[in-house]
Amino acid sequence: MKKTIALLALAVLATACSQGSATRDTTPAEGGKVTLRYFTFSAAPDHEKDLDKIVQAFEKENPKVDVVVETAPYDQYFTKLQTSIAGGTAPDTFELNYENFVTYASAGSLLDLGTVAGDTAPTGFAEESLNSFKHAGKQFALPASFSTVVLFYNKELFEKAGVALPTADWTWADEQAAAEKLTDKKAKVYGDFQPVQFFEFYKALKQAGGTFLSDDGKKSTFNSPEGVKAATWLVSKVGKTMPTEAEIGGTADYDTNLFKSGKLAMWHNGIWQFAGLKDVPFEWDVVVEPGDATKASAVFHNSVAASAGTKHGKEAYAWAKFLASSNVAATTRIESSWELPPVSDQAVLDGYLKDPKPANRQAVFDSLKSIALPPVIKRQQEMQDAVTQELGNAAAGRATVQEALTAAAAKVDALLG
Amino acid sequence: MAKALKYLVVVAGALVMLFPFAWAVITSLTPDGAVLASPPDFTPEGAGLGAYERLLEAMPFWRILANSLWIGLASTALQLITSAMAAYAFARLPFPGRGALFAVYLATLMVPLQVLIVPLFIEMRTFQLTDTYFAVLAPTVASAFGVFLLRQAIQQVPREFDEAAVLDGAGHLRIFAFVVLPLIRPALATFAIFAFMASWNSYLWPLVILRSPEFFTLPLGLAELHGRFTTEWNVVMAGSVVSVVPILILYLFAQKHVIASVAQSGLK
Amino acid sequence: MSLATEQAPPQVRRHAAPPRRTAGQRWRYAGTVAIFLLPSLIPLTLFTLVPMAGSLWVSLHEWDLLQPMRWVGLANYVELLGEEETRAAFLHTLYFIAGYLPLVYAGGLGLAMLLNRAMKGRNLFRAVYFLPVITSWVVVALMWKWLLNPASGIVNWALGLLGIDGPGWWTDPTWAMPSIILASAWKDLGFVMIILLAGLQAIPGEYHEAARVDGASAWQRFRSITLPLLSPSTFFVVVISLINGFQVFDQVHVMTGGGPGGATQVAVEQVYKMTFEYGRAGAASALSWLLFAVVLLVTLVQVRGQRRWVNYG
Repeated sequence: MKKTIALLALAVLATACSQGSATRDTTPAEGGKVTLRYFTFSAAPDHEKDLDKIVQAFEKENPKVDVVVETAPYDQYFTKLQTSIAGGTAPDTFELNYENFVTYASAGSLLDLGTVAGDTAPTGFAEESLNSFKHAGKQFALPASFSTVVLFYNKELFEKAGVALPTADWTWADEQAAAEKLTDKKAKVYGDFQPVQFFEFYKALKQAGGTFLSDDGKKSTFNSPEGVKAATWLVSKVGKTMPTEAEIGGTADYDTNLFKSGKLAMWHNGIWQFAGLKDVPFEWDVVVEPGDATKASAVFHNSVAASAGTKHGKEAYAWAKFLASSNVAATTRIESSWELPPVSDQAVLDGYLKDPKPANRQAVFDSLKSIALPPVIKRQQEMQDAVTQELGNAAAGRATVQEALTAAAAKVDALLG
Repeated sequence: MAKALKYLVVVAGALVMLFPFAWAVITSLTPDGAVLASPPDFTPEGAGLGAYERLLEAMPFWRILANSLWIGLASTALQLITSAMAAYAFARLPFPGRGALFAVYLATLMVPLQVLIVPLFIEMRTFQLTDTYFAVLAPTVASAFGVFLLRQAIQQVPREFDEAAVLDGAGHLRIFAFVVLPLIRPALATFAIFAFMASWNSYLWPLVILRSPEFFTLPLGLAELHGRFTTEWNVVMAGSVVSVVPILILYLFAQKHVIASVAQSGLK
Repeated sequence: MSLATEQAPPQVRRHAAPPRRTAGQRWRYAGTVAIFLLPSLIPLTLFTLVPMAGSLWVSLHEWDLLQPMRWVGLANYVELLGEEETRAAFLHTLYFIAGYLPLVYAGGLGLAMLLNRAMKGRNLFRAVYFLPVITSWVVVALMWKWLLNPASGIVNWALGLLGIDGPGWWTDPTWAMPSIILASAWKDLGFVMIILLAGLQAIPGEYHEAARVDGASAWQRFRSITLPLLSPSTFFVVVISLINGFQVFDQVHVMTGGGPGGATQVAVEQVYKMTFEYGRAGAASALSWLLFAVVLLVTLVQVRGQRRWVNYG
C-alpha cells in the first residue's frame, strides 16, 4: 500500500517538474514572432468567440504578432492583475475600466502610449471618450467599449395599469407617479427598481444638479441640498414602489429575474441586458432615464492599456488600437450586442440600430448627449464601499438620509485627505 | 422508545443536512429563467440536463477535471506521506527544540493565506515557476494541519505496541511503517479527505499563479461561469454538483476503509 | 473509575528519557529524525515560512502592489491600532467564535456519539452529515440566504406559524452575524463529527465493557472513559476550530461581504479588502500579524493548559 503511494508520488512529482520546466514565456518564438499577452474581464464567458474573431483579424494584419488572450471573471480580475504587476509578470496589454484607470495611471503601471504611437496617432475615436483615458496630459489607455444605463420598462404592465408609457421628457416626478400606480403588492408586482448604491447615487446627484467632488477634487461636495434630494429619491423608493433589502434577501440577480418574470414595470439597468431579454414573453422597451434638474446617464467605460514594463510597446499599441477602433472590432461588438465601440464613425454605429429589439435603440445614443461619469479618486474602491454602505443604512431606516450623507461625506473626505 | 427517539433525531438532522445538496441538484436540472424562483419549485417544469451540457460546452471540461483530479490526488498522496512522517517525529522521536518546532508548524496555520499570496507569487516568479503545475502543487505538499492531526492520532497509540517492536530490534522506519501507520488508519483516512478537499477546492492561489487555460483547475473553471453581468445559476449548480462528486466518492471509500481497519486491528 | 489508569502503561515508561548513546548512535538518531522531518519541513519552509517572512517585511512598508514598496517602519501597526475599523474587525471575529465554537463542538460531539453506536444505516447517516463539509461555500451560502430570506424564506415562514415575526436575518445588522454562525456551525458539524468519531473508535471497547461490568451508568462511562480518552481529539478540534475561527473568511465573503452596514466585517475580510481592493497591502499584512499575535497567544494558552485535561495513551 505504502509502496504504491510512494511510487504514485514519485510519478506525480516527475510530471509536475516536467511541466515546470516547460514554462511558457513571452520571449520571442520562432521566426522572430512576438507573443503579446492580453488580459481581459469582459470577454468571458459569453464573448470569447467574438474576441477570437478580432484577434484573428489582427494577427492577419500583423503576422509577426501572436496575441494570447487570458481571461478572469470581473470579481477576481483585479486581484490577479495586481498580483502579477507586483510580481513583475504583468500582461503586455490589459483591460481597465474607467474607475480604476486613474489608480493604475498615477501608480506608473501603464505605458504612455504616446511614446510608442509614432506617427499613427489614434484616430476615429469619439473625442470625449479618448480624453477620458488621458492622465496628466498623456494617453495611457485607449477606450475600447462603453455601455450606458437606461430605463427599461414592461409595456404590458403599463397598458394593464392604464399608465402612459415613459417618454424621453419624463422627470423623477413622472417616474414616481407611474411607479406608485404600477405597484401592486398583492400581485407582487413592483413599479420600479433602482439599486441604492454609489453608481446610482453619483448619477442621481448630477440629475439633481449637484456635484460629488469639488473642482480641485480635494473635498466632497455631495452633502448638499442636491445630495439630499438625490439620496432621498433613491431611498424613498425602497419598500414603496421597490422591494426592500429584506424582501430581496440577497437573492442573486433578483432584479433581472423580477423583470424577466414580468413583475417589474420599470428597471434602471445597463444596455448589456439587451441580449438576455431577447426571449422574454412580453413587450418591453427602453427610454433615456428620467432626470430632475437635468438629464444625466451613467456610462461604463472600458479601455485597453499596456503595461509600463512591456517589452513590446509598439505591438501593444498596435493591438490596443486595433481592439479599440478597427472596423472589425467595432462591427463585431455591434453585431454581438457586446457593448458599444467608442468610434466616431456614425455609419458603423448605425448598425447597432438595425437590431429590432428593443425598438427604441436610439435611446442608447440619446443617453450619450448628457452623461455622468463617476467621480474618480485614488482610493476609489474604499470610497464606493463607504458611500454604498451609508446609503444602505438610510435605505434600511437605520439612519436618516441626512445622517447617512454626513457620515459618507466624512469618510470620503478622510479618504481624500 | 429511546432508540426510536434517537432515530428520529438522526433522521431529522440528516434531512436538514441533505437539503442543500438536493437543492443544488434540483437547481442544476431547472431550465434557465425558472432558476431561484421564490418560493422554490421542487418539481421544475422542463427539467433536464441542459445545464450540464452547457457546462461541457462552456469550458474544456474534461481537461479541467483531469487537472483537478491529478493535482488533488498527487497533493493528497504527498501530504499523507510528509505529514505522517513528521507527525511520527513529533510524537515519538524526542529531539532538542521539538516543542518549538511544533509551535512553528502550528504558527503557519495562523497567518491568513490572503497575505501570503503576493509574497509566494513573487517567490515563484523568482524561480521562474509561475503558470506551472508545480507552482499549484508545491505549497500544498506540507500540511501543518495534517501533522497536527496525525500527531494526535499517533500519541493515542499505546506505546507498548512500538516498544514491543523496539525489543524485536526494529528501527524507527519499520515501526512507523508496520506498527504505527496501520494503527492510525482511521486518522489517515480522515486526513486524506481533508487533504484532497483542500487541494480540490483551492481557489485564490491557482487563480493568481495560473494564466494558461490548459492548466486551469475546476474552481477556476466554475468561477469563469459567473459572467460579469449575468449568472446562470443552473449551470453554476451543475458545476457545484460535479465538483462534489469526487470528494463524496473518496469519502465513501475512506469511510469503508476506516471501518475495515478498525475491525482488523482488533482495537474494538 | 480506576480502569483507565490500570490499563495504561506505567508512567515511568511513558516519559522515559532517550537512553544514553555513543556519538555514532547519536548521528544515526539525528539522521533518523531528519529523514522523518525533512520531507515536510523543506516544503513548509520554502512555501509557507518564506512567504510569511515576506509578509512580515511587507507589513513594514506602504504598498499598493502597483508602485514600489515604501519603508514606513511600524507606522502601519500604529495606524491600525488607532483605527476604529480594526477594533470592529476583531470584535466581530470574537463574536463569531463565541457563537460558533460551542455550537459546533456540542453538535459534533452529540452526532459522533449517536453515530458511533451500532444502528441501521449508520454509514449512510455519517455520509449525509458529512455532505455539507464537502459542499462548496458558494452553494451553501446561496442556500442559507434563501432559507433565511426574511420575506420568503422557510425559516421565517415556520416562525410565522408559531406566531413569531421572524427577523431580517443577514439583511439586519443585529442578526447578520448569528446567521453566519448558524450556517457555519451547520456546515462544519460533519467535520467535528468525523474527527471525534475517529477518536471514539480508537477507544478500546474493553474499557466500556469492563466499566459496564462494574455497574457504571451511561453518564458515568461518558464522563470517566469517553471524555478523558477523547481528550486528544477534543484538544485538536478546539485548537483547530479556534485557529480557523479567527480566520473566518469564505462564508462572510460570499454571504454578506462584511455587511450589512459593516456588521460582519471580520478580520480576514478586512485583510482581503485592504490587500486587493483598497491598495493597502502593507497595512493588510500588519493586520494579519496582529491577528497572528492574538491567535498565537490563544493557542499557547491552550497548549500550556492541555496537560491538565488532555490524556494521551
